[in-house]
Amino acid sequence: MAVDPAERLLNLIIALTHARVRMTRAQIRSSVAGYAPPTPGRSDEEARREDAAFERMFERDKDELRRIGIPLKTVVDPTHGDEIGYKIDASDAKMPDIEFNSAEMAALALASEYWRGATLGPDANQGLTKVASTAGAAPRTPLGLGARATSLSDATAVIAEARARRQAVEFEYTSESTGHATRTVEPWLVLIRGGADYLVGFDRDKQAARTFRLRRVHGDVRAIGPDNSYEIPDPIPPAGSSPAPVKVGRIGLRPEAGHALREQGTVVGSDGDWDVLDVEYRYADQLRDAVLGLGGRARIVEPADIADRVIEFAQAALDAAAASLGEELNG
Amino acid sequence: MAEKTPARVTRLLGIVTYLEHHDEATVPQLAQHFGVSEAQIRKDVATLWTSGAPGYLHGDLIDFDAVAYEDDIIRLTDSQGVSQVRLSPREAVALIGALSTVAASGVAPEAFTTALDKLVAAVGDGEAVRSIALSNPDPELVATLRSALEDGVVVDLVYVDASDRLTERTIEPHRLVVIDGLTYVECWCRRAQDYRTLRLDRIRSATRGADAVTTQPDTTGGFSLVPQFEAAITAARPARWLLDTFPGVRVDDDGDTVTARFGVADARVIAGQLLMIGPHVRTIKPVELAREVALQARAVLDAQA
Repeated sequence: MAVDPAERLLNLIIALTHARVRMTRAQIRSSVAGYAPPTPGRSDEEARREDAAFERMFERDKDELRRIGIPLKTVVDPTHGDEIGYKIDASDAKMPDIEFNSAEMAALALASEYWRGATLGPDANQGLTKVASTAGAAPRTPLGLGARATSLSDATAVIAEARARRQAVEFEYTSESTGHATRTVEPWLVLIRGGADYLVGFDRDKQAARTFRLRRVHGDVRAIGPDNSYEIPDPIPPAGSSPAPVKVGRIGLRPEAGHALREQGTVVGSDGDWDVLDVEYRYADQLRDAVLGLGGRARIVEPADIADRVIEFAQAALDAAAASLGEELNG
Repeated sequence: MAEKTPARVTRLLGIVTYLEHHDEATVPQLAQHFGVSEAQIRKDVATLWTSGAPGYLHGDLIDFDAVAYEDDIIRLTDSQGVSQVRLSPREAVALIGALSTVAASGVAPEAFTTALDKLVAAVGDGEAVRSIALSNPDPELVATLRSALEDGVVVDLVYVDASDRLTERTIEPHRLVVIDGLTYVECWCRRAQDYRTLRLDRIRSATRGADAVTTQPDTTGGFSLVPQFEAAITAARPARWLLDTFPGVRVDDDGDTVTARFGVADARVIAGQLLMIGPHVRTIKPVELAREVALQARAVLDAQA
């Protein structure tokens, strides 16, 4: 009879928690309810199929234990050859009691909603279940507040796991100054700012602290190399969070346009239909993108190199749009 | 969609730990506490009741008080030594990241900061995630909106709308929301006769009114916009970072170029974003979007001229 996968996993947790030393795969297969022990008198063909099915099931269950956050210890017993055994140390894994009041529980419930639709959504819900397990029974206080992220990089989840194991990560990255390259980084901290996330860490190639915008990562972030391969400095050097100095540019904005830019600057005068502002910026491409995104309701006065880039980008977009329109009309 | 096994097992362990802390609970209490149906709690208890250690005889199984169960009271008599496990790194980053984002927004009650501090201390692996405020809403504005929300009265606003026009409007506030680190008020706008989500940093002034709020909050999820058409953008690979951020996007990577397909709710906003990857864009479909890009690109060139 097929056992509910949740029940099989629970049986596995109980068995490995109770195991005095360890359990081998064979012992798990023959004694834990939910796994099918080898059929007596099976043929070679049946044996191959059954063994493969067990291996697949067990690998998936190990993965799911990891997703739940249960540390599975591998124990090698020299008196039994090289076969690996498994064990769970309950004391390693226990959720500490944290006293949250009802307002704090409401805050946590809201926090778990924040990642809805993102990779971390199920993790946040699972985290809330764990916190609720040790929390009081009081009903949560209504907050009159909501929170939501609309676009967050999937990389955050991989980085969180790698950081916890002190494992480096590797990814392809496009930067303003160095172009496209593979970077190897020891993650220290994920920085969230306005729904965008950044990785702060030690760049092994540059041998220095760097901040990476995760929007500029191409493809997957991969954890590489052994665990415990670095230490996180305490406190984290401020250079890691502010790698570029603040510069001041002069821009024109149509009246009432460009509120985000207005917040970063001060109005210094006007020029015909334009308000003239001095704005602070760290990255040339950030200022360029802010002006481009306003579709003609903003202009760069200074510096000239950013103004040139704005023209270059708009001209290229116009060419691509014109080519696409031509194609549509001709085809 | 069926619940994933890790989520269910986490709740099973949670029920055991909760019952150990509270001696007993009713099915409705557990359902409310864990945010699932009563039927689900009964299934969970049934699963726990038949789980246990190898041997699976009486004394090896997780056990409940059968007499109390008749009265819908769940009382644990044998946990077989299992209990809730600590937060995984991903769970910790998810909860701490969200709490700190809301705490940094300038509109959160004190409970966010205290919950955050307790959680960080309990996880005990230093600071894995930190949020930085994008803008700090005027505390006086937040106080005005909060008091109006609590008392259920309207607020008169001077507001700069998305098309950069200065408007005066009376709103019925329903709640404050933090989206991508920016703060908004969800409300019924009497001027538009519709639900609106207004940015706090665009409110120039707010005055508490006397009229009572008569509308119910929007339950449709407020800020999800309806796509008007499907777009397909082909661009060189370095443009992927931007294309990946479009809501609901599917990106196919064919080596040198990528093709992104997504629903467009507001062609103006998307066109502005496409200018940011101008040199990488190859083709823009459909015609509506290509026209909007051409229009905005010309406007930028005129502005720079």
